[in-house]
Amino acid sequence: MTKLTYFPGCSAHGTSEEFDSTLKLVMKSLDVEMEELPDWNCCGATSAHVMTENLALALPLRNLVLAEKLDNKTMGIACASCYSRMKSTKVEMDNHPELAKKINSTIVEEGEYKGDVDVKSMLQFFYEDIGTETIAGKVTYPLKGLKIACYYGCLLTRPKNITQFDSPEYPMSMDNIVEALGATATPFDFKTECCGASFSISDTEIVLSLSGTILEMAKESGAHLIAVACPLCQSNLDMRQPDIAKKRGKKFDLPVLYITQLMALAFGYPLKDLKPSKHIIPIEQALSHIGEEIATPEVKKKPKKAVEAESEVE
Amino acid sequence: MIALGQQIENKFLTAVNKKSGNNILDCYQCGKCVSTCPVSSFMDFPPREIMQMIKLGLKDETYMANSMWFCLTCAACSGRCPREIDIPRVMESIRHLAIEENVNPDDPHVKNIRKFHEIFLDMVRRYGRNYELRMMAEFNIRTRNLFKDMHLAPKALLKGKIPIGHEKVKSAKAIQRMFKLAEKLENTK
Ligand code: SF4
Ligand code: SF4
Repeated sequence: MTKLTYFPGCSAHGTSEEFDSTLKLVMKSLDVEMEELPDWNCCGATSAHVMTENLALALPLRNLVLAEKLDNKTMGIACASCYSRMKSTKVEMDNHPELAKKINSTIVEEGEYKGDVDVKSMLQFFYEDIGTETIAGKVTYPLKGLKIACYYGCLLTRPKNITQFDSPEYPMSMDNIVEALGATATPFDFKTECCGASFSISDTEIVLSLSGTILEMAKESGAHLIAVACPLCQSNLDMRQPDIAKKRGKKFDLPVLYITQLMALAFGYPLKDLKPSKHIIPIEQALSHIGEEIATPEVKKKPKKAVEAESEVE
Repeated sequence: MIALGQQIENKFLTAVNKKSGNNILDCYQCGKCVSTCPVSSFMDFPPREIMQMIKLGLKDETYMANSMWFCLTCAACSGRCPREIDIPRVMESIRHLAIEENVNPDDPHVKNIRKFHEIFLDMVRRYGRNYELRMMAEFNIRTRNLFKDMHLAPKALLKGKIPIGHEKVKSAKAIQRMFKLAEKLENTK
């Protein structure tokens, strides 16, 4: 059994509860034991590094130090923003021991940073540590017929020197996972465009504009729904969708699901475990496409695309 | 090297280079960052122009611009910059320099963005974690925009999107001490 330290992040116990709960189901199916980081603190998100230099490193560092007290080699992080802060801090600390010492002086009780725990996003963990083959092997309810636009946002694959994962311009890891579940990933050029992230509250107009374009492009790709791996992306695309639709004078009807919700469904958990009532844009209609035959040209194209995609990522 | 005319030390450029660990003089003004940046149209000066302003030592103009406050750190630009300049890092550095020198642009957007981050950090300082509903409410109260997002609130609450009640880190004291010590570090640079 693989063991993994779990960093849920502030939204896992709030707006993205369904990410947290389906993640736990999926890990159970994959035989991964998750140990929640005891007494974790907020990573400081965008705010700490917008306003300060030292605090932006100190907050994530405390979590890294706490993680080193556990026996697990890897810490998996649910939220893309937490992941980005934690991984940047790790890279910064590993490359600048002097700075590490300085920042460590603000963490009095927890101890010294050693740098021996790896930090991964859950997407990266699924892709690298579990693998699409194992994932495909757990599928009991293939999502055949479902067309999905995979949206990564900016932080899961960028900047390249920090994340060291997948492509910063056209990543395919989530697309490959979705295909392993039996669904079809649509060609989606806006998969790494920014959704407006933390401007959700302070400058809503920007989010309406950026997330609006992402929705338009996802719709154009022919998708029935959007898959995400970050709570901020989810809430910007789902909760703000009615406002965006009103502004643009069109309906998108594009539910936004966490990759773990789709995995849980494909692994045979009942629909109610996905907590459909949490979604602003209802998910049932989109999921009713499961089992549909996809028009012939796409079926023909699919194997070739999947093969190309695989080689591109490797 | 041939010196054309009188050389004046560009202190601003040196400061930004030092803080960001980049050499802004590397920028050859290709504009790739501008076409990549999702928010360049909202900025007073897009990233390319900010680079040139730093090169010219236009400190006050740079500090008064809203550009670095709009930067989302999405790193789309730096991934494509042919001169490999870490543009979000440069944005961050001029933001921190402006904060250190207490420059407050009048732009209402900047004011909102700053307020948001201040409230967020305050919440982390007090509880060690962030609490979303309170965050929204405090932001709206402090910016006197009480009814913003009210149309979302009942729906989100009903759907259990936003939890009532809140979480505290056990060692909230350790976090408070960290804030104090980090602040000290900030001031002793
Ligand atoms: S992409 Fe790089 S070199 Fe080109 S203008 Fe922007 S910062 Fe300068
Ligand atoms: S990192 Fe900042 S400047 Fe660069 S593209 Fe993103 S928002 Fe624009």
